[in-house]
Amino acid sequence: MQVSMTVNGRVRKADVEPRLLLVHFLREHLLLTGAHVGCDTSQCGACTVIVDGRSAKACTMFAVQADGSTITTVEGLAANGQLHPVQEGFWDQHGLQCGYCTPGMIMSAVNLLQDTPHPTDRQIREGISGNFCRCTGYQHIVNAVRQAAGRR
Amino acid sequence: MRAFDVFTAKDSRHAVALLAEHAATSKVKVLAGGTDLLADLKFASASHAPDVVVDISRIEDLRSIAVTGDGLSIGALVTHTEIMRSPLIRDMFPAMVNAAHTIGAVQTRNLGTLGGNLVTAVPSVDSGPTLVALDALVTVLGPAGRRQMPLAEFFVGPRKTALKPDELLLEILIPTTSLGKPTCFLKFGLRKGQALALVNVAASFWVDRARNAFVAPRIALGAVAPKVVHASTAEAYLEGRAIAPEAMVEAGRLAVGDAKPISDFRASAEYRRDLVAVLTRRALEGAYELAKAKQSEK
Ligand SMILES: Cc1cc2nc3c(=O)[nH]c(=O)nc-3n(C[C@H](O)[C@H](O)[C@H](O)COP(=O)(O)OP(=O)(O)OC[C@H]3O[C@@H](n4cnc5c(N)ncnc54)[C@H](O)[C@@H]3O)c2cc1C
Ligand code: FES
Ligand code: FES
Repeated sequence: MQVSMTVNGRVRKADVEPRLLLVHFLREHLLLTGAHVGCDTSQCGACTVIVDGRSAKACTMFAVQADGSTITTVEGLAANGQLHPVQEGFWDQHGLQCGYCTPGMIMSAVNLLQDTPHPTDRQIREGISGNFCRCTGYQHIVNAVRQAAGRR
Repeated sequence: MRAFDVFTAKDSRHAVALLAEHAATSKVKVLAGGTDLLADLKFASASHAPDVVVDISRIEDLRSIAVTGDGLSIGALVTHTEIMRSPLIRDMFPAMVNAAHTIGAVQTRNLGTLGGNLVTAVPSVDSGPTLVALDALVTVLGPAGRRQMPLAEFFVGPRKTALKPDELLLEILIPTTSLGKPTCFLKFGLRKGQALALVNVAASFWVDRARNAFVAPRIALGAVAPKVVHASTAEAYLEGRAIAPEAMVEAGRLAVGDAKPISDFRASAEYRRDLVAVLTRRALEGAYELAKAKQSEK
């Protein structure tokens, strides 16, 4: 099936099988390997991307469902060599160790801040409750998002 | 995952035509948000895997939330996030907002639809109890036209509904008689995010102001029977009774008798029974708080 979507500002067209998952389309067809596959069962959030302004788990979406959509992946956040404030937050606050969960965490944080620019810590924790991190213990991630929201 | 063909439905009629056309010869499945369906497809044995998927996610007229002459109509494709943000639902039924808020986490609520939640019909279905407590109806469309039934009858058993393979769930209707009825939903899971309910409960009633008594009390229990059930004994006990803390405690005790919980890896039946008593009482208290708040607004 023919699909067309705008990914990180570029129109991408391809002929895909209906069963192709969005995350595999992004990683294997577009070579955007930022979205990771952790669990493949919609639990861990490592595959989180933003589809038409809302966060989604790309392991639980077919590429054909995203036909006509606008998608942002972690690769699309930095602009003109300038990291996105959420990326800066993760950098400054040690919001990662192994980094496996990081692209998904960052996309969930971006989604949260777009709806709730000044979240409380509780709202931050809720905003990332669909994302698992096995390394950091979460506190540094919360600090990173708090910095990005401008509440250091 | 086994290969399948996908057809995109333009509108409800087209979806039903596609279902009818393919249901005759192959295994066909509807795709809404996909949060349940993809999990099924990934793990389905070859004999259960569909040959055809009908994508209904682009049908615009199944996305509306509106008050009509019949009540509050919510399209099957309305997502949990949209329920949480709808000013109309926030105002009329905070219990629905709370229920939506307990489902999965942000990403799943962004994609998952109310219709998909009800059609999947797991016993712990989080949008079930509130809607059953509000006497909600569902409208389905098939090749022969529309039919409507109470949600409580639409649910048949674990992952079983009254929907036929060539039928589409169109809308959920909260009847005018329930509009603004004070209702409270409570869920107990093992974590706040991404945890299925060990027990979920909704309580709803009108207050007879002159006598401060329960009118049309409804208590719906989830995850403690093959499907969402009314706590009928507790409801009958409360009808017309004066509102008092002791009555709410007693209703909780009676609701335990209306539940038929099982033990599984999440919790024992005994624990679930205790939860039914406590959550029922708290849900009644919550609905009463709402009723009082609404009264003082006037
Ligand atoms: C990580 C995770 C956590 C979750 N947590 C919860 C939770 O806490 N509580 C809870 O209740 N649920 C939970 N769910 C389940 C799920 O998200 C919901 O049931 C969701 O609302 C399903 O909607 P959907 O649009 O994604 O349905 P789909 O997956 O598209 O469809 C589900 C089923 O319904 C059928 N269907 C869908 N729409 C229609 C229609 N209009 N007419 C006819 N058939 C239809 C499909 O064929 C399929 O069989 C969770 C799921 C995940 C992945
Ligand atoms: S890989 Fe998608 S949620 Fe884990
Ligand atoms: S940094 Fe290792 S999983 Fe989060």
